[in-house]
Amino acid sequence: MSIDLTLVGQFIVFITMLLLMKKMLYVPLNDAMEARTQKIEAGLAAADAGLEAKAKADADAALQLDAAKSKAQEIVSAAERRAAEVKEEAVIKARLEAVAIVDAGKEELASEVSRAKQDLREEVAGIALQAAEKIVGVELDAKRHAALIHASISKGFDAA
Amino acid sequence: MAAEEHSTGIAEHLQYWTYSFQQNLPVDERNPFMQIHIDTMLVTGFVACLILGFSAWLKGRIVEGAPTGAQNAVESIVGFVNDTVKDNFPVHNPLVAPLALTIFVFIFLCNFFDILPAYLLGHIAEGLGAPAFRPVPTNDLNLPVAMALVVFALVLYYEFKLKPIHFMKDLLLQPFASLLLDSKNPVVKFLGVLLIPLNLTLKLIEELAKPLSLSFRLFGNMFAGEVIFLLIASLLLVDNMHDLMSFGGIVSEIMGLLVGLAWSFFHMFIGLLQAFIFMILTVVYLSIAHQPVEH
Repeated sequence: MSIDLTLVGQFIVFITMLLLMKKMLYVPLNDAMEARTQKIEAGLAAADAGLEAKAKADADAALQLDAAKSKAQEIVSAAERRAAEVKEEAVIKARLEAVAIVDAGKEELASEVSRAKQDLREEVAGIALQAAEKIVGVELDAKRHAALIHASISKGFDAA
Repeated sequence: MAAEEHSTGIAEHLQYWTYSFQQNLPVDERNPFMQIHIDTMLVTGFVACLILGFSAWLKGRIVEGAPTGAQNAVESIVGFVNDTVKDNFPVHNPLVAPLALTIFVFIFLCNFFDILPAYLLGHIAEGLGAPAFRPVPTNDLNLPVAMALVVFALVLYYEFKLKPIHFMKDLLLQPFASLLLDSKNPVVKFLGVLLIPLNLTLKLIEELAKPLSLSFRLFGNMFAGEVIFLLIASLLLVDNMHDLMSFGGIVSEIMGLLVGLAWSFFHMFIGLLQAFIFMILTVVYLSIAHQPVEH
């Protein structure tokens, strides 16, 4: 057990080893570990950001879904209202058209009745004139007697 | 008689392979400092080459991705050292962690040589012509002292660099003079000045105790371990075949093997523990040197 020049030798060995180990082993290894740690931290941060973005997107989607649901509800309500209005309009229109058709029919019926009355009047007048000619046996003034008969028949029809 | 021979054998085994730079002088007149322990230098050189060769090999294979194999193992050690330094060190110093790593790995590998059979390397070296051979360099006081002095020099350097005034005041005025110099009484003040050399002496003893305790703790543990190894190994030594085959001889051999095996495991733990203690104390001493001054 003595202190001698071995001490100097051990100084040199130790300091050389310290410097070389720092340069060759510690620094590159530590850099790699630091880089890995940073990469992992960045990955974790990205994952956290992703989760946050997903939560935000979910919240946005829920909001948009709610908005879409309310809008759809509004559209459905509006459509229902419009359908009711259209239905009401159609019913009114149909009623008006029915009334118009009935009125037109009534008018046509009235004109047909009037025309039939006229035709019948003329036929009755002709028949009466022919009958009178046979009874009397003479030729009567056709135009004058026909006017008289028409007036009588018309009086009769009007009375009827 | 046999015991005396064994003790002589142990004492011979504790000799270093020494080379004197004053070969021309008689042995009595040689300066004991002017010699070198060739065995210590060879083994530490071998360990250093081993570590540096491994470092160079690993450097080209370091990957930033998931580590495997040797990188994984070394990263575990580096991570452990980094954590130890971070837990104990108040500021960042790029030298402390590499220093702690070097100390831990170097001491552990030097201590690891103790697991070899006690007389093996000595006998091999004798066979090759060496007069003696000590395989464990931490048993040589020169290695622990060299490392402790490096640590001590770094502590002094950082003390002077980071807080020179505080350190000088601490060196000259603690523990006695500070209170006395604060007094308004001139006699007490003068007494305080007289006490400065005593303070300086006490402080120097306190500071020098750090590297001394650091080095002697490692040296003492490893030296005692080696002596116990040699004592256990001496249980296995018998004079002749008749003694070996006797009841006592067989019991002695079995006991020697079992005790030797148990001590080997325990001593490996001691070696690891001593490497850790040296490393952690280095970090703590440097941490104290980096502590900010309290006002």
